[in-house]
Amino acid sequence: MRHILSATIFAASLAVSAGVQAQVPAGYPADYGKIVDAAKKEGKVVIYSTTDAVSANPLVKDFETLYPGVKVEYSDLNSTELYNRFIAESASNNGTGDVIWSSAMDLQVKLVADGLALTYPSPEIKALPKWAVWKDSAYGTTYEPIAFVYNKRLVPEADVPKDHAALLKLLETKPDAYKGKITAYDPERSGVGYLFFNEDIKNFPPSWDLFKAMGKVQTKFYTSAGAMMERVTSGEHTIAYGIFGSYGLARSKKDPNLGIVLPSDFTMVTSRVAFISKNAKNPNAAKLFLDYMLSKRGQEVVAKADLYTLRDDIDSDASIKAVTKLIGDKARPVPIDETLLETLDQTKRLAFLSKWQKAKKGE
Amino acid sequence: MADLIVKDLKLRLGDNEILKGVSVSVTPGQVVALLGPSGSGKTTLLRAVAGLEQPYAGTIGIGSNVFYDADRKIDLPAEKRGLGLVFQSYALWPHRTVFDNVGYGLKLRNKPAAEIKTRVEKTLAQIGLGHLAERFPHQLSGGQQQRVAIARALVYEPPVILLDEPLSNLDAKLREEARAWLRTLIVTLGLSAIHVTHDQVEAMAIADKIVLLNAGTIAQEGPPTALYNDPQSQFTAEFMGSNNRLDGTLVDANGAHATLEVFGERITGLNRTKAAPGSKVVGISRLERVHCSSNPGPNRLKMELKAPMYLGERWELVFTRENLTVRAYANAPLEPGEHYVEFPQDALWVF
Amino acid sequence: MPIVPIVAYRFLVLGLTTLAVAMPLSLVVYQSFLTAPFFDPSAHTSFAAYSFVFQDDDFWQAFWTTLTICTGMVTIAVPLGALLAFLMVRTDVPGKRYLEPLLLIPIFVSAVVIAFGYVVAVGPVGIFSTLAKDLLGFVPWNLYSLFSLIVIAGLTHVPHVYLYSAAALRGLSTDLEEAARVSGATPFQVAVNVSLPMILPAILFAGVLVFFLGFELFGLPLVLGDPQDVLVLSTYLYKLTNKLGVPSYQLMAVVVVVIIAVTAPLVFTQRLLLRQAQRYVSVRGKGMKSKPLPLHSWRWFAFAAIILWLIVTVAAPLFGITLRSFVVTWGEGVKLLDVLTLDHYRELLEYPNVIRGIVNTFGIGVIGGAIAVACYTAIALAVHRWNSGWTRLVDYIVMVPRAMPGLIAGLALLWVFLFVPFLSPLRSTMVSIWLAYTIVWLAYGMRLVSGTLLQVGPELEEAARVSGASDLRVKRDVTLPLIKYGMLASWLLIFLIFVREYSTGIYLLGPGTEVIGSLLVSLWGTGAIDLVSALSVVNVVMIGAGLAVAIRLGVRLHG
Repeated sequence: MRHILSATIFAASLAVSAGVQAQVPAGYPADYGKIVDAAKKEGKVVIYSTTDAVSANPLVKDFETLYPGVKVEYSDLNSTELYNRFIAESASNNGTGDVIWSSAMDLQVKLVADGLALTYPSPEIKALPKWAVWKDSAYGTTYEPIAFVYNKRLVPEADVPKDHAALLKLLETKPDAYKGKITAYDPERSGVGYLFFNEDIKNFPPSWDLFKAMGKVQTKFYTSAGAMMERVTSGEHTIAYGIFGSYGLARSKKDPNLGIVLPSDFTMVTSRVAFISKNAKNPNAAKLFLDYMLSKRGQEVVAKADLYTLRDDIDSDASIKAVTKLIGDKARPVPIDETLLETLDQTKRLAFLSKWQKAKKGE
Repeated sequence: MADLIVKDLKLRLGDNEILKGVSVSVTPGQVVALLGPSGSGKTTLLRAVAGLEQPYAGTIGIGSNVFYDADRKIDLPAEKRGLGLVFQSYALWPHRTVFDNVGYGLKLRNKPAAEIKTRVEKTLAQIGLGHLAERFPHQLSGGQQQRVAIARALVYEPPVILLDEPLSNLDAKLREEARAWLRTLIVTLGLSAIHVTHDQVEAMAIADKIVLLNAGTIAQEGPPTALYNDPQSQFTAEFMGSNNRLDGTLVDANGAHATLEVFGERITGLNRTKAAPGSKVVGISRLERVHCSSNPGPNRLKMELKAPMYLGERWELVFTRENLTVRAYANAPLEPGEHYVEFPQDALWVF
Repeated sequence: MPIVPIVAYRFLVLGLTTLAVAMPLSLVVYQSFLTAPFFDPSAHTSFAAYSFVFQDDDFWQAFWTTLTICTGMVTIAVPLGALLAFLMVRTDVPGKRYLEPLLLIPIFVSAVVIAFGYVVAVGPVGIFSTLAKDLLGFVPWNLYSLFSLIVIAGLTHVPHVYLYSAAALRGLSTDLEEAARVSGATPFQVAVNVSLPMILPAILFAGVLVFFLGFELFGLPLVLGDPQDVLVLSTYLYKLTNKLGVPSYQLMAVVVVVIIAVTAPLVFTQRLLLRQAQRYVSVRGKGMKSKPLPLHSWRWFAFAAIILWLIVTVAAPLFGITLRSFVVTWGEGVKLLDVLTLDHYRELLEYPNVIRGIVNTFGIGVIGGAIAVACYTAIALAVHRWNSGWTRLVDYIVMVPRAMPGLIAGLALLWVFLFVPFLSPLRSTMVSIWLAYTIVWLAYGMRLVSGTLLQVGPELEEAARVSGASDLRVKRDVTLPLIKYGMLASWLLIFLIFVREYSTGIYLLGPGTEVIGSLLVSLWGTGAIDLVSALSVVNVVMIGAGLAVAIRLGVRLHG
């Protein structure tokens, strides 16, 4: 299969050099070949991303195989740095990333709302869930359930919380056993944490009771998933609340002691949001990459990298299908739209944070 | 060639007035010693001539070649003055061989390599180090380093060579030999030089003229014999040679002579004071001019001989009376006890 | 008056240095008075950012915590560092030759690496903690308390005090100590009553430096302060971003301005102390090659104390990080033998940017370090023997970048590279990262080079002047050849610093310009601790190799 494909591409690139239009993927508009040709002239696509290069590497390699002649320049940054860098570079008009791909959904939506994204209706739109496309600019690319991660060695089977209510009960009934053993993102210091806790409030009415219970057992709050999982594997903590399923899945494959629970009452689902920069120096290559990432072929690679695909036509343990099999219709994807801007509202933020500080003390 | 003339030079470092208006001249072929105690400003004066210190008033120059003129705002940088300077620490560049140390000045003057070679070799031969050209400074003895430093300053034939206590880093015996060697070298080559030293013997041995500095001003200048034999001030008298000091009261001062009273006895010497009779004065007499007698007489004081000291070529005798101590030389030891010490009239200056 | 080349050179260098420091700095100060990013058209001037920060409880908490940590660090590092210097320079402690390079390791190992090593070694379920728990039934320490943070920060800064104190002690005549010894003082009394008071200005200088370094402490509080939410000014910058949802430069700029305002008087104090210190050092005696003070029965006790310090500050964390890189998992209930693996290293090789990162790190250390030393030397030479008030200006200018946390300095430089037209083509090259490193470490590098310059006797230069060499020629023919070895040593030290650096480059690196330090930070963020530890070990090995070369070449590691 692969051979045939690369042979086709080889032929296609020959065709390009002969001045004939490149081959158009099935179902794409007829003039897509122009974009392919233009992209090859551009020769590269610059990607700013929060997804680490290791996870993204298969995607990059496959894209480069599919479109020889378009090199991918991939930079991984944390979400704040990515945001800072992108707005400064956009303002200076001195070149920036062509594709901006970040897990900070709220910041991504803000950038699109601020007019820094290119409007580009991808030919893949119809294959995507509705909540994952906004203004023909911002596209969800993954389907990442937010999970509880726990240490199988140290948490007895009976204690493993299956849903939010079970966790609340566990903390209320066995506060001494779990004192200092729970960990979660810090909503005060981490944007991800803030988003997670606010989504919890929307979906789980006794959320504040849960937060108070967490405060009472002296839950430790961190700013990075890595730090949390490392400490759960080591047993310093035993249950991590609110971990990207993608990280959990990848980690549990290496370390069989790590268990993952998708809460059965509701599971929040986040998505890495991608858009094309309005100031892109390589807009055509950027379109190519975005379309590729959303295509079935690209999403298969996404799933293989444990990043969870959001297409329902792919079988994998990191897919919508797999999540649905576990929790049925309890998945609650965070829609990519202007409601995310609310999380950036300063007054709401400060109000939440002052309430949070009390909860943290168990009040 | 014209004289090197320093006129009314003033210099301060921070808040300290180091030179308070000093004038010195060096005629071609002359060796001038800048002599003085530490802190008198002699080294600073030398460095100002070299262009390494910054005066604020006065002039320095050789003939029409003005090095420094405060009023005309001329201040030639050190490298443009073309003088030679030998440092107290020699300041040989440790990363260069003897040849390269000596040849550097010529290289800076863009002389062809062949000329540099002959001139450096000639100079090294003159100072007797022709065989050490390829050595590095740290492979040389102190005396050899000092000669290299001198060669380095001589090689480009500066009109005047400046020597900053060049002998002070040598030990006593070597210093005397080096002194003789240096004087010979200067005379043979007909050099003009300014030689800074705090050692009056060295100054007298080497210089044609001594400029004695005291706290930034010139105490006295002239040929060594004049400074030694005819000091105009108490400072000069005391700085040159080894001296006895008599504190007394002036009885009479008329014309060439003055008389002072010590322990009720009258001692007459050469008049160098303007004080009125009755005031405290000081008599200074060189050790070698004081002698000792068994009988009382004019200009003699009765004193008690303490321990005689054997110095090799002669004896030194120490006499005391109350708080007065007098030293004198003798060719043979005397018995301890009472003696009469004579201060010859023409060898006692009253200030 | 004609333009004298030396004057032109001096002002050219002075101008370039000022420009390099002032551009990012003035951007930060300007930004602090705006309401939005300076490049945002809606930005206008206001004091709003100041009033927000000053009314924020978290700011004051971070501020006081930072002061507490700084004070604690000084309290720990100064006496230990001074005593260590006395032991190493003056006494017959065994194994000095081998100990000396080891003492400096904490300076050259990234704080993040050390901190994470501590978590594995002595964290709540760390290797030594579980051991202690098995033996005692409880863990006698709590790594995540403010107290532990202060102790670790203090212990890891002992080498800074050691360096300055040792240099001062070497310049001090030993007669005074011998006199005290003869009068019947024990070695400890000699140290406390004679030697250390004599070098007090140098010790105080180092104390101020440590206090100063406390302000920019980042790696340790980031890792060790995270679970306990210990907030210091540098981590407060992070929290600020989240408070408002989007990064607000004006607030970060205010914090940086506050840090500069607090540290500027420290720089002034340091200058005063330095002048004082030089006055003391002129008490040079002849007994430079004197015999070391015999410690007798205290000898091995002192040795054991130094080893203990080394174990706590160097061996424990490095052991922790190394161990982590060879196991799949660790902690309570894990038999380490069962989980040994080389996978992390294998995975590291697959990581697309790692090899490039290692090569780049090496390049910036070796080549970048050399050019940086050349720049520092150019500045130091310009100021050298210049009797002018301008030299004081240079002293201040070089200290300013030290007051900016590396991350912010990097961001400010990104702005410079973006908005200064002729610089923008250089942004995505190693040049930008090199410039950022060179500016951030300006003060350190300048001290290294000017320390070497101080050792050149002025008369060697004057001799060349009188022989007819111009000022610039003197520098070329005499001064530079004489400081050759000093420059080599500085190069090595700068290499070690550049290889270790992590926060400065984050905003400037892109594809092709990765360095290990920033790879570590980005991997840390995504949770790939396996890779972080493996890469840390690689980094430590590089630094170790550098140190080994240093020792082999006989480079003296002190200024």
